[in-house]
Amino acid sequence: MSRAPRVPRAARAEPVSSRSTGSAIAAEVKALMLAGDRDGARERFGALVAAEQRRAVRLAYQYLRDAHDADEAVQDAFVKVFTHIASYREELPFEVWFTRILVNACLDIRKARARRLRWVLPIEGPSSTDAPAREAVDRERLTEDVLVSRARLREIAAAVDQLPERQRTVFMLSHFAGQSTSQVSQALGISEATVRVHLFRAVHKLRRILEH
Amino acid sequence: MIRRAHVSDDRLVEICFDGALTSAEDAHVAGCDECRARRSRLELLLREVNAAARIEADAAFPLERLAAQHARILQRIEQDGRPARVIAFPASQSPEMRPLRTRPAARWIAGAAAAGLAVGLLAGHLAHDLPQFGRPSRNTVISSSARQDVQPALRAVNASLNDEEFLGEIENALDGPRLTVLRPLNDFTPQ
Repeated sequence: MSRAPRVPRAARAEPVSSRSTGSAIAAEVKALMLAGDRDGARERFGALVAAEQRRAVRLAYQYLRDAHDADEAVQDAFVKVFTHIASYREELPFEVWFTRILVNACLDIRKARARRLRWVLPIEGPSSTDAPAREAVDRERLTEDVLVSRARLREIAAAVDQLPERQRTVFMLSHFAGQSTSQVSQALGISEATVRVHLFRAVHKLRRILEH
Repeated sequence: MIRRAHVSDDRLVEICFDGALTSAEDAHVAGCDECRARRSRLELLLREVNAAARIEADAAFPLERLAAQHARILQRIEQDGRPARVIAFPASQSPEMRPLRTRPAARWIAGAAAAGLAVGLLAGHLAHDLPQFGRPSRNTVISSSARQDVQPALRAVNASLNDEEFLGEIENALDGPRLTVLRPLNDFTPQ
């Protein structure tokens, strides 16, 4: 099994021409913190959380496949962002910086989960806690133009789970988080060529599994 | 006219994720049913995977849960920012360490109390383990006049008897002929 790519602290910066909402609010929060207005920063940070939360939760859930763990990872990531907001570099898109922190939080939780499973006998499967939630998925909730049946949902989830760790991370960041090759490269601290290789392999594997 | 080669699978993936078709690729795909079909299949698969991921995550995280998470994050941030509360110990003392100041008399009293306690514990231990040390053994408590009655009831009780056996012996004795020496013991024992 391939090792999970631990995201390095230093990643190459890339100038950003257009600023996202997240980046703009993060810059405000940083300025408020540096000015010593902690309360103001906290208040503004609430808006940042609201702007990024849904995306973060989707990414963490795809990574961990467990709602409790995903919840914890997202919380930890946001708290870490606030604690280290002074080190946020405005020239880097906030989404990239935050994704890096979130992926690391997910990796920490996966490690902790593996430790727990080593020492404690599981009573139920690791993802069984979310079974009711998944069962509650209603076809009417589907806003996409593709209608996915429950059976197909399970099939797709199983196929994504079968991807090796690195391929899965790259695929999730590219596809679910909607990041460009360049952004994934920055977030994971690997070259764009490596990102592409992992992405191609991931997609080919998914096609092999899902296109019978 | 030379017909261009088909667009590779990897290039198709790249196009779906990041890039746009080059004009040559665009021209080829427009005229090639096979490439068009491959591209459509790949796009459909990716849309399906994306939709599946969104549905799953959104079902696990309804709006109420997101709101609770939002509140929890802000609460954690607020707690993290608060300076840690230092509980003075002992309560009357300030958190700073004070130099230890004791008077010689107080020290002597404390030393004597500690020594007394140690001697008491040692003596108690010896008296328990060695019956001849400092007090009569249990079977000698019984007066000589009662000794004749006690003999059938109380077998030789030595110091190594444990509590269970000792209590058993007392019950045996009480079940037998009445012993005056055991009455006080019987009186204060809850019935």
